[in-house]
Amino acid sequence: MSALKVDDDRRRQHSSASVAWYSTHWSVIGLWSRLSRFDRAVLVVFVLILIIAAIGPFVAPYPPTFADPLQRLVSPNGAHPFGTDENGIDVLSRLIAAPRTDVLIAVIATTLSVVIGAPLGVVAGYFEGSDRRAMRWISEGTLRLLDVIQAFPVFILAMVLVAIRGTGPVNVVFAVAFVNFPVFLRLVRSEILSLREHPYAEAAVALGNSELGVGFKHLLPNAWPTVLVQVSVTIGFAVLLTAGLSFVGAGVSPPTPELGAMIASGAKFMIIGQWWVAMFPGLLLGLIVFTFAATGDIVGKLMEPGQRAIPSHHCLFSKDRIAPAAQAEAVAPSAQDAVLSVRGLAIEASGRPPILDGVSFDLMPGEILGVVGLPGSGKSILVRAILRLLGHGLQRRAGHVFFRGKDLAELDDKTLRAIRGCEILPLLPNAKSQLNPLVRVGDFMVAHIRAHYRCSRREAHARAARMLGAIGIGDAEHWLAAYPHELSGGMAQRVCLAIALVHRPPLIIADEPTAGLDVTVQRQVLDLMIELCHQGGAAQVLATRELGIVAHYCNRVAVLHEGLIVEMGSVRDVLLAPRHAVTRRLIAAADLRAVSAAANTPSKIVP
Amino acid sequence: MRTLKYIGRRLLVLVPQLFLISIITFTLVRMLPGDPARLELGPLAPEEGVELLRHQLRLDKPLPQQYIAYLQRLLQGDFGRSWVNSSSVAQDLLVRAPATLELITAGMLIVLVVMVPIALLSASPSRGWLARATRRTSFGYGLLAGALPDFWLGLVLIFVFFNVLGWAPGPEGRLAILDLPPERVTGFYVVDTLLAGNFDTFKSALSHLALPAVTLALVYGGPVFKMVRASMEAALRSDYTIYAEGLGLPRRTVLLWAMRNAAPPVVVVTGVVAGYLLGGAVLIETVFNLNGIGQYAVQSITTADYAPIQGFVLVAAVFTMMVYLIVDLLQFMIDPRVSARAS
Repeated sequence: MSALKVDDDRRRQHSSASVAWYSTHWSVIGLWSRLSRFDRAVLVVFVLILIIAAIGPFVAPYPPTFADPLQRLVSPNGAHPFGTDENGIDVLSRLIAAPRTDVLIAVIATTLSVVIGAPLGVVAGYFEGSDRRAMRWISEGTLRLLDVIQAFPVFILAMVLVAIRGTGPVNVVFAVAFVNFPVFLRLVRSEILSLREHPYAEAAVALGNSELGVGFKHLLPNAWPTVLVQVSVTIGFAVLLTAGLSFVGAGVSPPTPELGAMIASGAKFMIIGQWWVAMFPGLLLGLIVFTFAATGDIVGKLMEPGQRAIPSHHCLFSKDRIAPAAQAEAVAPSAQDAVLSVRGLAIEASGRPPILDGVSFDLMPGEILGVVGLPGSGKSILVRAILRLLGHGLQRRAGHVFFRGKDLAELDDKTLRAIRGCEILPLLPNAKSQLNPLVRVGDFMVAHIRAHYRCSRREAHARAARMLGAIGIGDAEHWLAAYPHELSGGMAQRVCLAIALVHRPPLIIADEPTAGLDVTVQRQVLDLMIELCHQGGAAQVLATRELGIVAHYCNRVAVLHEGLIVEMGSVRDVLLAPRHAVTRRLIAAADLRAVSAAANTPSKIVP
Repeated sequence: MRTLKYIGRRLLVLVPQLFLISIITFTLVRMLPGDPARLELGPLAPEEGVELLRHQLRLDKPLPQQYIAYLQRLLQGDFGRSWVNSSSVAQDLLVRAPATLELITAGMLIVLVVMVPIALLSASPSRGWLARATRRTSFGYGLLAGALPDFWLGLVLIFVFFNVLGWAPGPEGRLAILDLPPERVTGFYVVDTLLAGNFDTFKSALSHLALPAVTLALVYGGPVFKMVRASMEAALRSDYTIYAEGLGLPRRTVLLWAMRNAAPPVVVVTGVVAGYLLGGAVLIETVFNLNGIGQYAVQSITTADYAPIQGFVLVAAVFTMMVYLIVDLLQFMIDPRVSARAS
């Protein structure tokens, strides 16, 4: 039995390995084709720099240390395209030969700091999560020591280290490695800390491996991608550091071709106008640093899991994509006394299939329209489109939103601001994240009240307190002085409800107003919301994925699927005789999901 | 009360940090091959003097005792003597510190007064020509910032503005050769000349400060610039900004509140950068010949003058620690979430 299972496992492993090879092979081409033109250029330059660093001294037009006293400080010309320096050495030849020194020192130093930093990072991460207090203290102490080491400005520390150990490439390598190893220690430590939470790490420990062994064998390899990105960036800065050290005479000294020393020797000529000696090395230095940093960025970008998946538009059930009956309403004129009329609204993200297509409906005063649909069906976009809050990348392609007969798209900024928040009120999901974390609840409410109603700050404050009281929040002053992080999710949603109702608006646009709240709080908030809406006579669009809520609270329902209204009618008609597959699916799901809300209207749910 | 408690606790952390710094600087010098007393006094000092210092440093005693002797000297404000200038290091550092501080302050001012508003503007979604222009410049600057070597950029600016255009003075120091330094009040020439009412010297001091400060700001302002833009963009795209827009709050309020949210990460990055400025000042002072403590350290390194190096490293680390302290306190003040966690 178990032998069979192992065999099966192995076969699966084998096939997955070949799939992995196959996808790697394709992903190389795929990756390249998905890079922007700029990213490709960076990678090409990156490879060029590596080649020059490898073979530079052999391809230079003149020997890079060959001095011609007759050709001193010649400005750029045909024979010396970048001129010559004060010794009569061709600047271009030195430029081609110099990256070798800098890049080599930087690469060796960075490798050294990884070799020192990464294992220490594993140990620190392991100690930190240890059960024994002494080990945690050691780890804590190491980190505080690093804090202090990093308090020494990088350049100064490196400079002093070289000064103490003496100049020369080897000591530069040590100095650069020393100032950079804390970076890798910290990076690996934080990676280990997050990786050890993964089930496979726990499984490996449970199988009897030592924690430290697991850290090195299983966790460290998973941290490499992140480390690799940092390596590329660090090499760039190490090049800069090496050049800086050489510039102050604490690094590589002439006649070895080196960019920082070249700039140093050209400095005095730059001031008197012979710019070419120092100008070109600096530009090249900048290019190298930039290329390494940008390459790190690109590698990091490619390693993001989301980037690997080939973007495609999977349709859940594309067969259902038929022109719906509701579309016919697009041509119908908007009803006379409707609060809100949406006509043929189409929203698209540039260059992609439309997110909303030909959405039309009317909303009468006091009416509550439920908009249901699966996640991703366009409910939130509809809500945002009505509020004209589409944000970046989305635009209205066609259609209109009329509020009391006015086309919202035609309004200027000022009029729109006067309507939004006063006559049309948004009620959005996850109320806690809707409230600005650094603004006290009271300040927020006061700003909102005063934005639409001329009154003194104190008057607005009193009104906010009354409003909180009206929706059943005792101790209003306490909550007005609180910051959003001090509120529970339900309390935050109540505050948003108070905000929504304070101006007695004719229209409320709610998007999953109870998402993230637990079931009992959901009921309380919804009951309160509907009751107050009825009192004030507010019409409401209530977007939700739970049919139970719709069945319980709404007059009419529109079923949204892939941006189309596939079905619309009174709640009773739609739920009793669903015509569309999506509606049937939602009804089937509702039985399980919102039993409590649906239980009150069982006759409507059972088909 | 809570604030006081936090400040007290944060200051308490400073004590072990300062101890660690002193241990590290002590170790740095003990890493040198040879006799520390001989190294400090230089190869030309007479043997009796070296012997005296050896006794003073308790070099014949075990290391912990030597460290205590070192601490005692530090606490008395004695940083040793430079054998090259035969002067007190503490004195040298004090005389030169204003030049460095003036440079750092001016650079930071340029970052905060010029670059941060540009970054804010480039983050705003407005489609005006100004916003578009700043977006384009800031994209280019974001690419280059951090890649260009500061010492080279300083040279290029000298070449362009002194050699080609003639708008700025050359790298001759903080004042023209014939200018007399103003009476010392703050040590900042730009301030002191104004206090003395000497406007010609003020102009000279300002023009000598301009290029180095711009260099410093351009190179080290990059991370601040990027962070301001990124966190402002994030704040403007966030739920709470959309909600505030949806409530029809005035544009000014929406932007101000978004900025409040963008501030905490910017303060952190600004602090880290301010800590690095001293490292940047080393190279820029050398290029512009400003004679601050950074250039002093570079000169000491070329002459193997160890007491000034040790003194400078200590000052640099303490300076950075102080900057981090200020950053922590600022963050405590602006973000209620931090203060909630801290108490």
